[in-house]
Amino acid sequence: MKTIEEINQKIKDGDAVVVTAGEMTRIVQENGAGEAAKEVDVVTTGTFGAMCSSGAFFNFGHSDPPIKMSRTYLNGVEAYSGMAAVDAYLGAAQPHRNPDIGLDYGGAHLLEDLVRGKEVELVAEAFGTDCYPRTDVHTFISLESLNQAIMVNPRNCYQNYAVATNSTEETLYTYLGTLLPQMGNVSYSSAGELSPLLNDPYFQTIGVGTRIFLCGGQGYIMGEGTQHSTEGERKNGVPTGSAGTLMLQGDLKKMDSDYLRGATMPKYGPTLYVGAGIPIPILNEEIAQSTGISDQDITCKIYDYGVPRRSRPVIRETNYQELRTGKIEINGREVPTSALSSFKKALEIAEELKNWIEKGDFLLTNPVKKIPSEGCTVAPLMIKRPSIMVKDIKIKPVITVMAEEAISGVARKMVDNNINHLPVVDHSGRLMGIVTSWDIAHAVAKGCKKLTEVMTKKVIVALEDDPVEVIARRIDKNEISGVPIVDRENLVKGMITAEDISRLMCSQNNKEGDSQ
Amino acid sequence: MKAWLKFSPRIVSKPVISDLIKDYDVTFNILRADITPKGGKMLIEISGSEAEEGIKYMEKEGIQLNPIKKVVKKDEDKCMDCGECYSLCPVEAITVDEKWNVELDDQKCIGCGFCTSSCPTKAIKIAY
Repeated sequence: MKTIEEINQKIKDGDAVVVTAGEMTRIVQENGAGEAAKEVDVVTTGTFGAMCSSGAFFNFGHSDPPIKMSRTYLNGVEAYSGMAAVDAYLGAAQPHRNPDIGLDYGGAHLLEDLVRGKEVELVAEAFGTDCYPRTDVHTFISLESLNQAIMVNPRNCYQNYAVATNSTEETLYTYLGTLLPQMGNVSYSSAGELSPLLNDPYFQTIGVGTRIFLCGGQGYIMGEGTQHSTEGERKNGVPTGSAGTLMLQGDLKKMDSDYLRGATMPKYGPTLYVGAGIPIPILNEEIAQSTGISDQDITCKIYDYGVPRRSRPVIRETNYQELRTGKIEINGREVPTSALSSFKKALEIAEELKNWIEKGDFLLTNPVKKIPSEGCTVAPLMIKRPSIMVKDIKIKPVITVMAEEAISGVARKMVDNNINHLPVVDHSGRLMGIVTSWDIAHAVAKGCKKLTEVMTKKVIVALEDDPVEVIARRIDKNEISGVPIVDRENLVKGMITAEDISRLMCSQNNKEGDSQ
Repeated sequence: MKAWLKFSPRIVSKPVISDLIKDYDVTFNILRADITPKGGKMLIEISGSEAEEGIKYMEKEGIQLNPIKKVVKKDEDKCMDCGECYSLCPVEAITVDEKWNVELDDQKCIGCGFCTSSCPTKAIKIAY
């Protein structure tokens, strides 16, 4: 048993034994966890992957006269400024305001440009107040000229992650990269045995306040990240799915573009490659055992991203040793595998953090608070305002005509009831066709006498339990103005028209207006 | 060698390629082809003891042959060596070495452009 204070003393004395997570795996395999715990003081981890849930807070300083920014753009990328006067948060995944640039330059690229020391354009608008009279700003800023530029990433360092393939006939463009048709490739993201949270799967040492390597500078763990989850399936002690996450912060001014990159997933959008490394103090044998995890022991699942739903079908299980060979067997066929995160960079980060500690530039921290290792689940978003069904809307009493009725009688029925559509039914009330006022005009012009000659026989219908928005789309797509409502027996229950739908939307909007 | 063959509308209906393979000792591989009745082009790789004679034959038959001077290049500053491009390459021109560096083989590359359009940092360029 060691304490963090004892390890820090060794670091200061230059005596600490620091190894990367990859080296630790071999040490534990060869000497066992007991020996490894005695021998090793710190294990360094690393990951360098696409982490969309990232961004930074900026403070621009006050202009003269001052402004309270309500809309803020940096190089054309909108930053959220619904906070105090000159603060803004720029999200990495925000696309450019100009749709022609769109996904090619977003928040992530802007962050990289700032870190590279480039000047960027600041445009801000405001409504003007007595204390902040200025209504617009157009100037250039750099990282140096900002008062603060603090990276705050709500969800980084996923413990493990899904692996993707695509069973459809089309190429798919996803946050896991380009997925070729007919399971033509497989894409994975985790750094495996180097990944921080796979080396401390129950958050025994990684906690609130832990000092870390973040994009080349020193950063801190603010707490568990959004969507942190602890109750998923585990194998060999580690989650087989995304599971735990971290919220991170660090000073953008101290970061290095080697470890922070703006990127674009084709037809998906901008994302930030974040380099993070977390030191794990080897306080006891159990922690040594955890850091001994190997790529082979980390199970993950290949999902079919051809199914665009929240839960996608699992194609098969695999592990990172297999994925890293560059090929994997699916249904008896060899499929190439791609990593989306850079294993090379992850290794570099673990090595760099190891250097810092060995040189005594980086000391370990006791967590201020533990990150939950149980009791956290992620609930799906429930759509609380359910679709309105056809049967829910008020429709006029059903008016129909019989197939054998005379044209003149049908015309009278339309005029008397002030309607333009009439479903044509047989004696038992089953739908045979539909006739409109236009059809009647047509019949008169052509001298037709029989209704069956002018009615439309192939009728587009609505079922009572169809959502109204589906019917609206059906009416629009077929360029018609209304459809008969029928039940499963094809018995006519009424008509729903474009007018009914617009009336419904108006009343919905009024209701919402009232409740506000 | 790799070359683009240009077919004029006049010769698209002639079985030039099959005659070439029957009559000459060549190894012939079609990498890309886009030929319609209005003519078109084909990217091929040709080798074998009679490759030169074969090329002369194709030119005699009216096919315009342009050897490709394609360069596939990686911007080392932009590349993060993630490997996203690796599984997209149809001809295994992209490899990952034992130090996890991503490498491109200019000779194997057929210029399909899958890697250039999919690279998250647009680090790969193909110049013709």
